[in-house]
Formats: sequence, C-alpha cells, structure tokens
Amino acid sequence: MARDPKHDILFEPIQIGPKTMKNRFYQIPHCNGFGSEKPMSQAHFRAMKAEGGYAAVCTEYCSIHPESDDTHRVSARLWDDDDIKNLGFMCDMLHEHGALAAAELWYGGPHAPCMETRCVPRAPSQIPSDFEHLTYPKEMDKDDIRTVQGFYVEAAKRAREAGFDIVYVYGSHSYLPQQFLTPYYNRRTDEYGGSFENRARFWRETIEQVKDAVGDDCAIAVRMSTDMFMGEAGTQLERDCLPFVELVDEIVDVWDINVSGISEWGEDATPSRFYESGRMLPWQKAVKDISKKPVLGVGRFTNPDLMVEAIESGSLDIIATCRPSISDPWLPRKIDEGRLDDIRECIGCNICISRWEIGGPPLICTQNATAGEEYRRGWHPEKFDEAKNADNDVLVVGAGPAGMECAMVLGKRGMRRVHLVEAKDDMGGIMRWIPQLPGLGEWARVVNYRKIQIDKLKNVEFIPNTKLDAAGVKEYGAEIVIVATGGYWATDGLNGCTHDTIPGADSSLPWQLTPEQIMDEGKEVPGERVVILDNDGYYMGVSLAEKLATEGKKVTLMTHLGHIAPYMHFTLEAPNQHRILHRLGVEIVTYHMPTKFEEGRVVASHVYDEHGHEQDFEADAVVMVTQRRSNEALYRELKDTVGVDALSAEGISGFYRIGDCEAPRLTADAIFSGHRLAREIDTDDPETPLPFKRERRVVEREALAV
Amino acid sequence: MKIVVCVKQVGALGDEVEFTDDERDVDPDYLDYALNEWDSYATEEALRLRDEAGDGEVVALTVGDEDAEDAMRRALAMGADRGVRVWSDELAGADPITVARALAEVVRAESPDLVLAGVQSSDAVQAATGAALAELLDLPRVAVVTKLELGSGTAKVHRELEGGLVDVVEVDMPAVLTIQTGINEPRYATLRAIKQAEQKEIDVREPGDLGTPASRVRRMFVPPKGEGAEMLGEDPAAVAQRIKEIVEERMKS
Repeated sequence: MARDPKHDILFEPIQIGPKTMKNRFYQIPHCNGFGSEKPMSQAHFRAMKAEGGYAAVCTEYCSIHPESDDTHRVSARLWDDDDIKNLGFMCDMLHEHGALAAAELWYGGPHAPCMETRCVPRAPSQIPSDFEHLTYPKEMDKDDIRTVQGFYVEAAKRAREAGFDIVYVYGSHSYLPQQFLTPYYNRRTDEYGGSFENRARFWRETIEQVKDAVGDDCAIAVRMSTDMFMGEAGTQLERDCLPFVELVDEIVDVWDINVSGISEWGEDATPSRFYESGRMLPWQKAVKDISKKPVLGVGRFTNPDLMVEAIESGSLDIIATCRPSISDPWLPRKIDEGRLDDIRECIGCNICISRWEIGGPPLICTQNATAGEEYRRGWHPEKFDEAKNADNDVLVVGAGPAGMECAMVLGKRGMRRVHLVEAKDDMGGIMRWIPQLPGLGEWARVVNYRKIQIDKLKNVEFIPNTKLDAAGVKEYGAEIVIVATGGYWATDGLNGCTHDTIPGADSSLPWQLTPEQIMDEGKEVPGERVVILDNDGYYMGVSLAEKLATEGKKVTLMTHLGHIAPYMHFTLEAPNQHRILHRLGVEIVTYHMPTKFEEGRVVASHVYDEHGHEQDFEADAVVMVTQRRSNEALYRELKDTVGVDALSAEGISGFYRIGDCEAPRLTADAIFSGHRLAREIDTDDPETPLPFKRERRVVEREALAV
Repeated sequence: MKIVVCVKQVGALGDEVEFTDDERDVDPDYLDYALNEWDSYATEEALRLRDEAGDGEVVALTVGDEDAEDAMRRALAMGADRGVRVWSDELAGADPITVARALAEVVRAESPDLVLAGVQSSDAVQAATGAALAELLDLPRVAVVTKLELGSGTAKVHRELEGGLVDVVEVDMPAVLTIQTGINEPRYATLRAIKQAEQKEIDVREPGDLGTPASRVRRMFVPPKGEGAEMLGEDPAAVAQRIKEIVEERMKS
C-alpha cells in the first residue's frame, strides 16, 4: 500500500535551528522508567520509534544536576561523563535510523524530593511543593541563580557531547524556569519577581546561556505550559506566555507548547475519559500565530487526518505524540505505507503514566504489550519469528483481551491453525461492555485493533457462539490448548479488605448487583437509593457511580480505603472524576466497610473504629465492586478431572491458561500474559516466562576479595 | 436421504485490485479464497437433513481446479461424506450455464433425493447456476429458500420475497433448492474435523461435452468515478436540512 497523498504534508522535512527533521513526527519527552541507569533498555525503547519513522525522539525529563533528583520516580540524568556514555548509546541508535535525538534538560526545584542524592533543591521562593509532599526548597539568591544557570550550560554541553541534536530548556509542568514565570511559585520582590519582565528574566537568561554554549550545534527547544488553569496565580496565555514567546522567539529554535501545571497534569496528558484528541490546539495555535519558529505539541494524535488538519489550520508545524508513540512506535511508518488499519491506537487510559506516578517501575501499555520489552525480552511490536512448533494447531478458548492477543500473536508467529473459540457472539470479553461505561468509549480500540488483525490472519479462525466444555476441548483436535475464559466480579462480597464474604451478600437477589449484571446482562438496578461498595480502587466503582447518578439514582459510594479510586490518581483521572461525582451529588463514604447487607440497608462500620460502632446506609440496591475471581471452571476440569495425561493421549502437548482466567488484573497485564505465552510458545516450558535481561552491575567476587 | 450440495470456492477482494493482462479477470494475487458464504448454509442444511433422516449421505460437488479443494474440504470438515470435483481447462472462467452443465452430469449420475446450492456466489453474484442446473436436470426449482421441511416425497419450502413476504410452496423431490443465508447457523469445523477432512479422498472427474458457452467475459475494469456529486456544505444542521429536502423531493416524484 502507498501513502494517501492527503497525508503528504506529514512527511515534508522541516528545519529547526541547525538541524533538519526528515518529517513532522516527533516523540515528545516522556518517561519510561529507564533513565540513564538502564541505558540499553532506554536506547532500544527509543530506537523502536526511530525505526517506526519518527524524525525526532526525546529522552524523558533529563536532570541537569543531583539537586534535581526525582527519586522515587525515574528521570534521565546528565550529571557526569558516565551519563554521557549511557545516553550517548541512545543517540547513536536514533541516528542509525535517521532520527534526531533530543534531551529535555530538567531542574525540578521544589518538586524534586532528592531522595537518592539528599541534596536541597533551589527555587524562586521558599514554598513547599504542591506535588511532592514534605519537599522544601531553599530560596535562590543571585549566586544561586548563576549557579543553577551554570548547571544548565554544563548539562547542555554534556548533551551535545552525548550526541543530542536538540536541547530543551524545559519549563512546562511547573519546573524551575516556569516557576520563575508563575506567581504561584514566584513570590520574589527582586528583579527576578513581580513584573512580567522580571518573572521572565531567569528563563530568558538561561535560554540565552544555553544558546550561546551549544546553539551552533544543537537546536534549542523550549517547552512551555501556556495555561495552568489557576487563574491569576498561574501562568496565563495572554499575560505571560505570548509575551514570553515574543521576548525570546529570536533565540528559540522550536516551541513545544502544552497546558497545565504539575499537580493536575492530566489536563496535559489527557485521559480519553475526559478529552478527545487535539485538546490543546487553541493554545498551540495562539503561539504559532505570533512565533516565527516551528511549533510542536502533543494532542494524543492517532488519526492522520487530524494531524494534517492541525498543520493546515496553522496550529502546529510538527506533530508530537507521546502516548500514541508508546501504543504504536510505528505510527508514522504505518501512515506512510497507507496501513491505517494496522495502527494500534492509544486508548488514553494512562496506564503508562501510572507507572511514573507510582514511582519507578518500567512503563506498560494496554495496547502494546511489547512497550518496554524491546531490549530486555527482545520483543519487536511488528516482527514475529516463526515458532519452532509452527506445525501445531492451537485452540484458544475465550476471545477476551488476553485470548485475542494470544491468538493474534500466534497467528503472526505462523502457527498452522489457530482457532479462537468464544461462547458469545463476538470478540472482546469484558472489553465489550467496559467501553460502555461513562467516558470509556475509546477503550473499545483494544477490541477493534485485534479484531482487524485477526481478520487479516488467514491461519486464525474466530468461532463465535460456541461454549466448549472439557470434553469438547479434549476432542477438538488441537495440539496446544490455551484457556482464556476471563474472570468475574465476586457475587458474594468476597473482598480484599476482610478477606471474607459479606453476610447477606448474594447477587442472585434482585436488589444486589455485580458490574457485569448491570453492564452486560441488563439487570435492572431497583429503586432510587444505591450503595456502591468499592474495594477495588480503580475505575469500576466510580464509573458505575457516575453512570447510575447520571441516570437519576441517589448514589452512595463506599470504600474501605482512604480515597475513592486511588489508582486513578496515578492515571491522572482522579481530579476530573472527583469533580464529576461531586457535581452529580454522589455521597462519598471512605474508611467504611459493610458488616452486612439487608434488604433496604447496608450496615457498615469505620475500619479504624475499635468498638465496631455500626451505621445504617439506606439502600434500595447494592452494587458490589469488591473483587474479581478467575473464571477457571473449564481450566480446573481439564487439569483436575480430565488430567494432563488424558489430554496428552489426545495429542494435546501444551495446556496453558492466560489473562484473568489465571488471575484477574489490569487489562494491560491480561494482554501481556496472552502476548508473553504466544511469544514463548516454542520454549521448553512455555508456562514459565523466560528470564529477561536485567540491567544491573554484577560484581566479580574474586576481584573484590583482595 | 442422499443430498448433493453444490459448493464454490470464491475469491474475495482485498484493499487493492489488479486485473490479469487480458483484462478478463482479477489477478489471483489480489484475491483471498474461501468457501462461498451461501454454500456454507446450504451445506449445513444438507447435513441437518441427513442427520434428521438418520441415514444417507451428503455429497459435496464443486467445479474448480485443485486449489478449489480447500473450499470443498471445509464442507467435508463440516461433515459432508465425500467430495466430487469436476475440472478441465475449458472450465476456467466458465459462465454459469457451462458450470451447470458440468454439475448436471455428476448430479445425474449420483441420482440424489435433493440438490442444494447457495442462492448465489459472493464473487460473481449471478444467482444463475442453480436455476440452470434445475433446467438441465428437468427438476423443479425453488430459489432463495429460508426454511425447509421434508415430507414424504415432497419438501415444504419457505421462499423469501421482497418486503419481508414469505412464499410457502410444496415441491416434489428431487428438486433443486437454492439456500439463503440465515436459514440456519452453519456449524464450525473443529481442528480434528479439519484434519480428518484433509485425509478424505476427493473424486476428481473430467466433464463431458460442455457445449457452447452462453456468455464470456470481454473486459473487467474499475468503473470511472461518476461526476455530478453535490457537496452539501459543512454545517451539520444545514446538511441535515438539505438532505431532508432532497429526500422529500424524491419521495414526491
């Protein structure tokens, strides 16, 4: 297939300072958990995007000095010569694919807790961080200002030495340069505070110094948040940002424009629950209207038509993507080759971001099971080795996310025949009804992508409306059987708080419901007053609360936790979800756990009440979002009743389970488990994951013994 | 109960299409092949009738070269008892009448109680082969069958008409019935059945005199894009209003 001519503009080169991007695709800085200390994982992860057609690929935020240490979270670091070596390898790999490498030089100020270095961060004013608790900076005097500007210059030189083509002076997300520009952070009364000119001084001087140091060799990028949605206290487009663009446009080579501060940066990294693609285009256009320099920015773009529109409408010159580049590192190449239905579109769930927010673990992606696995497991999202046992026929029972992924990857690995057998009339499993929860429509991309791929694979056949029992599996004629029958929400109140059922809990009663019963089976929620018990802590409880409150119910959302849906803080969905529930009048009851359900009421007590005082909550209906259980009846019957020997006698040499059938978990992890098994279906023991390469220092005992 | 079910391996177009050098057919490189969808319903119906009768056999019959055996093997994997494939080079690109002549010869020799075929094939979409076959065999024919019940020596048949109407007819057997999709839910073939079908022998026969072709393809091409499309603007409300007007105008005339 060839590129559609209407997308040609995306493939026109563009000059930024002394460098040329070969097309308009730019991977914006984003974290991956690798930093400078896992250089191989870092390099291979970024290089996949360069191989996939990106013209420029950035590091994550890249600390310029030990004073800017974000531990527990993982940033890149350019502190010393060894960091130059480690990040230099990434630059080399990017260059091999014809992509430019960019370093986002970062000084966090009060937001950097310095938990590893134990340094004291410096800031415009001595105000503790609004993002990182208990982190106090020291207020910078003029010597401090010169010192920190020197850090930027030295780090920029190290970036150049490492091979970076683009060097950022990064302000967005409320980091140091933008702190100076923002009254919320800058309470100074000297020439670095007060008026616009004074607040802009630190950033302007820093850009000038970095430009002087490396500007002949590297393009200078400035990333600015053009609205922090904080009223007068925050940076504002008209008052601060457009004047700043005019002030330094001459010395900046490319503008990277977004919105939000750090404490609600979900306004930038927008969950699909609240925002569609291109949410920031009006701000980006405002900058482009007055700047003579190229403007780039993100907008969770996955659709090339919208990318073209962003350029043709004069909003952007360069299409930056973050999450869509994680979900599909080959996005540009697929557009170039006209393979639009092969694009693995980001669903905007922010599970990638959750890993950074948790602090430390490598990123994961719901859509792309290979994200972060490029080096350590050697997985390529688009290339699949033919399996050594490709002459086998495989039966996958259950076409939910894990089963679909597994069947797809087995198909791509060239298994002779893969039969994906599903009890219902279509693929998707739980992802058929989860996207019907409020705001989650884009999550259906999990199903759509796989369905299209499976349809293209001639060796994979989808068989709907067929519920196989153990005998049916045994006699099916497959050499490899994979059970992917998913999971279900507990029907008896079993939960991770008390590790027990709840007296009176029974979803077969008309006034007690599980999420599936409401969303998939159409069971009516009786009456007006609904108590939703959420012991899960992610999206299900709050989504059902929003849905039922929107339908006019009076909803009480009860949890044993201190917050409702704490995981949604990590996915940046929490603030707006709280706003919605508050607006809908949902009553939030935290730190409470039911002691029993009775018709008409839920009896609960405070989890820290030593005397067990009980309180009644009136309820015409109770929704139990307590915990999930594996739907493992078929697996158990095959393993325990039929037995592996009997299966083997039928010619079944491999018998496995994947996804929620093994253990209910994040959809990203369920998909990973299906992918992992398919990738390793031809090892000696496919059930056990192969060890992955660990990037760590290994000491030689003999050498140390001296 | 012996039933012959006529099946065809059809080509499905992918995203792109090229024609052969003589412009009389689609370049096979641009086609995916499968058992014609209507024929899978016809096969299922034949299997159902055989199983309900408790004895008899289902013979899958196709016209095609060796590559076309894949579709026949799918019918065999579903449960057809044996397969007969008719082929000679002069059948390449044959018209429906010629194909029917090749089929008729085998059906006559098999002397079945019933002949089933799909209403049409998804690639040629002529819906002619079944009718021609009935004519050649001098058998009664019912087209677009949506329900089928056997009596003694007769079949009670529902026939789909326009506007949701159903025509119920009784027809003497043997007869040729062309089967509509949706009449049943075709069974899937397990991997075991597919493997077993691979082992089944297919009886390959050469046709006798095929007579003069009734038609031949002169040229195949992608029609040029029509002109005169009316763009209705961009404002959704205005577009909706204009569509309403156009529909109302057309409804009047």
